[in-house]
Amino acid sequence: MANFLFYFFALLALVSAALVVVSKNPVNAALGLLLSLVGVAGLFVLLHAALLAFVLLLVYAGAVVALFLFIIMLLDTRPEQSKPLPRMTLIAATLGGALLVVGVLSLNQRAALSAGGAAVTGPTLKHYAEQLFTTYLLPVQLVGFLLLIAMLGVIVLSKKSDQAEERS
Amino acid sequence: MNPVNTTLLILLLPLFSATVIALGLRRQGAWAAGLATAVAGAIAILSWQLIFSGQRNFPAAWEWLRLGDFVVSLGFKFDDLAALMLFVVSFVGFLIHIFSLGYMRADAARARFFGGLSIFMFSMLGIVLADNLFMIFIFWELVGFSSYLLIGHWHERTAAAEAAKKAFIVNRVGDFGFLLGIIMCYWSNGTVNLTALGAQHVPSTLIALLLFCGAAGKSAQLPLQVWLPDAMEGPTPVSALIHAATMVAAGIYLLCRINVLMVPDALTVIMWIGTLTALYAALCAVVQRDIKKVLAYSTLSQLGYMVAAFGLGSLTLRHEMGGVVHEMVVATGVGAAMFHLTTHAFFKALLFLGSGSVIHGCHHEQNIFKMGGLRAKMPLTFITFTLGVLAIIGMPGLAGFFSKDAILYLALEKNTAVFAVLVFTAVLTSFYMIRLWKLTFWGAARSDHAAQAHESGFTMTLPLVVLAVLSIIGGYAGFFSRLAGAVADLVPEATGAAHSTILLVSLGVMLTGASGAWLFYASAETDSLEGKFRLGFRGLTGLKESFDRLYTYYVAKVQQRLAMLLNFIEQIFLAGLLIRGLGGVVTLIGYGARSLYTGSLHTYVYWFLWGTALLWAFAVGIF
Amino acid sequence: MIVDLQHYLLLSAVLFVLGFFGVLLRKNTLVIYMCLELMLIAATIALVAFSHFNDTLDGNVFVFFILTIAAAEVAVGLAIVVALFRQRGTVQVEALNHLRH
Repeated sequence: MANFLFYFFALLALVSAALVVVSKNPVNAALGLLLSLVGVAGLFVLLHAALLAFVLLLVYAGAVVALFLFIIMLLDTRPEQSKPLPRMTLIAATLGGALLVVGVLSLNQRAALSAGGAAVTGPTLKHYAEQLFTTYLLPVQLVGFLLLIAMLGVIVLSKKSDQAEERS
Repeated sequence: MNPVNTTLLILLLPLFSATVIALGLRRQGAWAAGLATAVAGAIAILSWQLIFSGQRNFPAAWEWLRLGDFVVSLGFKFDDLAALMLFVVSFVGFLIHIFSLGYMRADAARARFFGGLSIFMFSMLGIVLADNLFMIFIFWELVGFSSYLLIGHWHERTAAAEAAKKAFIVNRVGDFGFLLGIIMCYWSNGTVNLTALGAQHVPSTLIALLLFCGAAGKSAQLPLQVWLPDAMEGPTPVSALIHAATMVAAGIYLLCRINVLMVPDALTVIMWIGTLTALYAALCAVVQRDIKKVLAYSTLSQLGYMVAAFGLGSLTLRHEMGGVVHEMVVATGVGAAMFHLTTHAFFKALLFLGSGSVIHGCHHEQNIFKMGGLRAKMPLTFITFTLGVLAIIGMPGLAGFFSKDAILYLALEKNTAVFAVLVFTAVLTSFYMIRLWKLTFWGAARSDHAAQAHESGFTMTLPLVVLAVLSIIGGYAGFFSRLAGAVADLVPEATGAAHSTILLVSLGVMLTGASGAWLFYASAETDSLEGKFRLGFRGLTGLKESFDRLYTYYVAKVQQRLAMLLNFIEQIFLAGLLIRGLGGVVTLIGYGARSLYTGSLHTYVYWFLWGTALLWAFAVGIF
Repeated sequence: MIVDLQHYLLLSAVLFVLGFFGVLLRKNTLVIYMCLELMLIAATIALVAFSHFNDTLDGNVFVFFILTIAAAEVAVGLAIVVALFRQRGTVQVEALNHLRH
């Protein structure tokens, strides 16, 4: 049963990803991303990380993809014209892709990675909280700052230059 | 006042005068003239006091520059030789300052002239008083600079500017050899201090000859004699002071200073160069038209005499005292050269100043074929000039007779070939001097300027009189030995049979040359020699041109071609290949780097990919 | 066949490559962005798989951070895209080549 679920969710994720890459309409691409996220959430549940699955859906699928869709609507983009891709691009892309796959897989051929920290099976929120507020306290603070800066940056970027418009 | 302070004052007063004139008195010609002359007078008085106080060889040295083991020090070496030279320089210099008061009265750049004279006095005194070769070299160069300043005093005239440049450059060529000699001397002996070298040194022909190069440049010996005739472009007081009495004598003085370093081979070379210079200059003088040029060649010739005398070297004198025979080696070369230098300074300065008076009286006419009949118009000048002429041709009783005889006696004893040449040169000397004398002062006036000539003022005639007196008494043993002290003992004195021989020879020489010139030259507008011996005349004039033509050829053809070749190499290799090549390489790299900026996001992503692949390969261990 | 760490890693790799292809081949900036997100997701799968099969918590906790950063990045990136669109009137990548030499 677990195997079947794995293959199902994996296939869902892969096909949706292919949809993102291929589809001409950006709205279709966004929806493909959404489906892919659903597949990945399912995989997380299979890996006994249910909390993460829900967080993924909430944050990513709920907020990020929604944001994408807002912007696509705002910018009112047209579907791309399909120009035939130059052959060089295809060759280079394939080569690059093959390299990546080989690279990632070769990682596993090396010596086994050491298991650090306490062994936990079926982590709960309490375990996460423990880690976040002790071992990973500094990254939490830094990420907080990052969010603050990002927020400020977005505000500044999206401001229309009122003075310029008043003068012109 | 203690002698060190006196010497310092003597040396630094003219520097002070020059500075004040340069900074403050540029436009005030009269004040500048007064200051310079007053300073020259002060120097003369102080020198008199120092020389006749009898203090010699007092210690005076200061360390100036120290680089590890190498030390350049400045100091004074005041022995009898320096005392004699100091007398000549300060006294003759003072008289010429007085003369210039009158001569340069109407000149617009009078202040610059007197400033130049002061700088010259400073430099010359530095050479006289110096105690080591480095210090001499420093002041040597300064003297060359002062000469350049003063020859080119009327620098608006191209000829004067060219002459100044020529003098400086030719001197520089000699100075190059001089500097090499100093460096080699330091390298071999570890010191350039004259006293230390006198005590102990390594004999070397090369060092002696290299040091002689400096003297050859400054004293205008063959082949570096080309600058002296051209230097007559300067005002007459300059010619008198620098190019007759003092600066050109600095070469002789240097030789006497480094007498300890001389070796027989070097002395032979020096002797022959001096002899040949004397002969060459006398031959050139016979055909000159300009009064100052005749005197310039005469100076060249007499300098040749001095250098030849020095080159003839020492004599071994035998004394018998109480039955025991003592043999002493006496540096007669030094004695004869310095004796002739002193007397020459007196009568040559007199002759030049006299010619200045003549030129001034004839309103700056310098061609002797346009003069004549000045005997009646300028009596005082005539008398003093005559005394000078008689001194130079060796009339018995006058100063030149004694000093020339000393040289001839030395030549007779040491080298008969040189003796013969010097005797022939003496004949020529009488010949051209009497020619000059006759054409300038005798006969009828051959131009309006000469007809309206008038005697010069007091400031110009007074120095003439003083110098005339010195020309008479300068050669007598009583006067000279009081002046020169130990140097006078070095002068060779003929005794016995040699004495009669020399006396007869010099009388015969003088009479031959004088009568030949007197009878041969008519008081005419053209040169009689040119009329009667056209070929010989042309040969003699060509003699002067030959050196100039040789040097011009060398510079124009050889040196220029070498310079062009070097320029070509430099353009191709240095400028082209290295510099522009490097620049080109960097530009190419820049082009390469610039082409990465395609502006296409996809291209950048590809670059990321390849970079990651490379890093991964590196991490995996492929390379 | 038991699903092993290898399978999860292979899945992660393929997802990553798909995202990469998207970045290379698409011309719409927004779609490129979405493919970037795909790549991030692939990385999270790998992390969680590792942490599961090694019985640790580190990988899971790290996913939190990845999510946070992804969110921040998307916000800022989209703001830039909007600003660019106002300037250029297009979001085609080929048009955004002003930094060309």
